[in-house]
Amino acid sequence: MGRSLKKGPFVEPKLVQKVVRQSQMGIKDPIKTWSRRSTIVPEFVGYTFMVHNGKMFHKVFVSEEMVGHKLGEFSMTRTFRGHSGVKKEVEE
Amino acid sequence: MPRIVGVDIPNDKAILISLTYIHGIGKFVAGKILKEIGIKPELHASKLTEDDVSKIAQIIDRDYAVEGQLRRQVSQDIARLKDIGCYRGLRHRKGLPVRGQKTQSNARTRKGKRKTVAGKKGVKEIRT
Repeated sequence: MGRSLKKGPFVEPKLVQKVVRQSQMGIKDPIKTWSRRSTIVPEFVGYTFMVHNGKMFHKVFVSEEMVGHKLGEFSMTRTFRGHSGVKKEVEE
Repeated sequence: MPRIVGVDIPNDKAILISLTYIHGIGKFVAGKILKEIGIKPELHASKLTEDDVSKIAQIIDRDYAVEGQLRRQVSQDIARLKDIGCYRGLRHRKGLPVRGQKTQSNARTRKGKRKTVAGKKGVKEIRT
């Protein structure tokens, strides 16, 4: 179920602060964050985030189409290397 | 047989049902359309007047994406998910369930026909 519109999208307040500060200073450095639960709001477009996946930080460059998704959707938490014994998987 | 929005030719069933032969129109939407023009849903499609048919077509045209247009819209949405590299996009790419279902068992709709792995636990004879 979706989130109530009344509340608006959830974004970590600290993260917004960081983006605002960067935009005031006119720089676009990668922002390290653990906040995978934050929604990507239009203000984030053009910034790069380093999103934690539990182990390392994945670089996520936010484009316009990503608005409305969560940061965590772009930083995979699982590694799948294939099943044992499977020599060649037929591509889709 | 009336012809509504391009190729669709619903037959001699009640129009409520006939309309659902159009991709993108189910019973709910069909009911809404018929209520708007005030046609009895049980009326057989063959009994529709030219006027009714054009009215139905008009409403569909105005309010609903249907057939090819709808299919295009859906595949575009999927292409977008694949393009931005989010989790849902990756699942679409791999042909696995997208909404968090289990894949240890079942998930056959997305995964397709069973591919038997020889030597795997539980496989006694090779099924074809």
